[in-house]
Amino acid sequence: MGQSSILEVSDLTHDYGDVVALEDLSLQVPPGITGLVGANGAGKTTMLRLMLGLLHPTSGSMRVLGHDPQTEPLAVRARVGYMPEVDCLPKDQTAADFVSYAAQLAGIPTREAKRRSSETLFLVGLEEERFRFLGDFSTGMQQRVKLAQAIVHDPDLLLLDEPAAGLDPEGRVQMLQLIRRLGEFDINVIMSSHVLTDIEETCDWVVMLDGGNLLRSGPLEGFEKLGTVLVEVLDEAEAVAARLRARGFDTTVEGHRFVVGPGDATLEQAIVEEAAALGSGLVRMVRGSASLEDLFLRQGEDA
Amino acid sequence: MTDQVIFDRGYRTYDGPRTGRWGAKSAVYKDGIRRILGLRRKAMLKIIPWGLLSVALIAAAVFVGIHWAIGNIEESLREGIPTYGGLFDFYSAISLLFMTLAGPLLLIPDRSRGVLSVYFSRPLTVDGYLVSKVGAFVTVVAAIYIVPQVVLHIGLALIASEGFLPYMGETLDVLWKVPMVTLAFVVLNGAIVFILSALIDRTGIAAAAFFGLLIAGGPIAARVAEAPFQGARWASLLAFDQHPRIIRDALFEDTIDYPAELAGFGVWTSLAVVVVVVVAAVVIVRRRYRKLA
Repeated sequence: MGQSSILEVSDLTHDYGDVVALEDLSLQVPPGITGLVGANGAGKTTMLRLMLGLLHPTSGSMRVLGHDPQTEPLAVRARVGYMPEVDCLPKDQTAADFVSYAAQLAGIPTREAKRRSSETLFLVGLEEERFRFLGDFSTGMQQRVKLAQAIVHDPDLLLLDEPAAGLDPEGRVQMLQLIRRLGEFDINVIMSSHVLTDIEETCDWVVMLDGGNLLRSGPLEGFEKLGTVLVEVLDEAEAVAARLRARGFDTTVEGHRFVVGPGDATLEQAIVEEAAALGSGLVRMVRGSASLEDLFLRQGEDA
Repeated sequence: MTDQVIFDRGYRTYDGPRTGRWGAKSAVYKDGIRRILGLRRKAMLKIIPWGLLSVALIAAAVFVGIHWAIGNIEESLREGIPTYGGLFDFYSAISLLFMTLAGPLLLIPDRSRGVLSVYFSRPLTVDGYLVSKVGAFVTVVAAIYIVPQVVLHIGLALIASEGFLPYMGETLDVLWKVPMVTLAFVVLNGAIVFILSALIDRTGIAAAAFFGLLIAGGPIAARVAEAPFQGARWASLLAFDQHPRIIRDALFEDTIDYPAELAGFGVWTSLAVVVVVVVAAVVIVRRRYRKLA
């Protein structure tokens, strides 16, 4: 794509009357697979609908793939595929007909739309079932059809609203693998989810929302470095912990051991310095990984 | 043991032409026609539309046959058998049933099944979507009026005592009168069924409301119009099914007294009612869908 960011948001606010769905949001999202994380009501779906130009922001601006969805909604929608969270399938059509129709709605000529419909349903694992009526499909199969209709027209950006919602554990794993695979085909993805492990398994970048506010927008790969460190000393555990506490780190002492953090790479340096200052012998120092959930909860508390 | 090969077609990008907004509208239009006629749907969904279409076509052929049979006995007796204008009543009954089915079917499932979220994530505006749906509706319903009339016209020309071409020449006015009356029927009834289908979220209830309004609305409006209070005559205009017939009678010079005519209104009032209902439909349906989008 050669674009530095697929989504640019600046000072964006959107309200539904008295309810503020998104408040003063500013962020940039690079190409790749991005997770939009937040609890129900955090503003994820509002964000996706703003990106499609289906809602208009109260203030601020947004650019999707270089276009403003408010002034050029059709230009954005021509390049974007959208998988809604809600049911969106006509029960009286076959999967092949519906996906082909979805391609034609995006401007693909009829013959090519039929061909791409077959290929896309093959890709999502529904080649055998493509001539069955959608009313006869299971939830997992319906989710796959929803994904197929979103990618059939070869979009540059895919917006997935809770793609694994309602799936059993096996279906969830398969759906996430499929999304990961789309990323390998250089399709940019922004997927919303309130299930943090789904985001951890699938995404390169994460945007965290809480009550319409931005908690964090950044790469996922650095998150584990923000974990806690388990420290075991020969003596003076309480004193070392107190000095670290004085430097702003959380510490919990259990006998000769204490847990410090979370913190970045400077944390280990601080532990060494304080232990040395008190002449306490360091037995071991182990960094634990931080889950996205830890980070989300922690940042939510801080906000 | 044979060698097994796992063949993965992967994902293919698309670099071909894109038809843009026009393609999206065209897709909605074609899908609308398929949905009304039950094409590429389960067999059950084909029975009613194709049954009604068959009845309309067979009726046209039967009327030609009656004209031919009666004409063989006594040419003057054919005067009493209905032709173009008179047959509108018969086709209206069929098309009323058809519209009862088609209107709700075109609009409601897209809303109730959430398919609108797919439509409006594509390069398609609310107006584009609605215009395409109206186009599909008008195409199929107008065909129910016009195709049997064409069969009738050609049939009558073939059995005409003066010959095919002279008959066609003498009845050139039919070529504009039939489409005009068709337009009045389709536009007025279509506007009503679209309003109801936009406001009601259950296909069966919307269909019943439309059918009930047109069937029961006439007698009720006529009764109210006769009531002894000032301005009661205006209620006669609410018998919506009479207005296309009043327009038809004006064009085909038939004389049947409808409630509005008895209340002192003329064909121009009926035309005005058609226009008002259509404008109301445009405003109500657009507003409803703009909120949904």
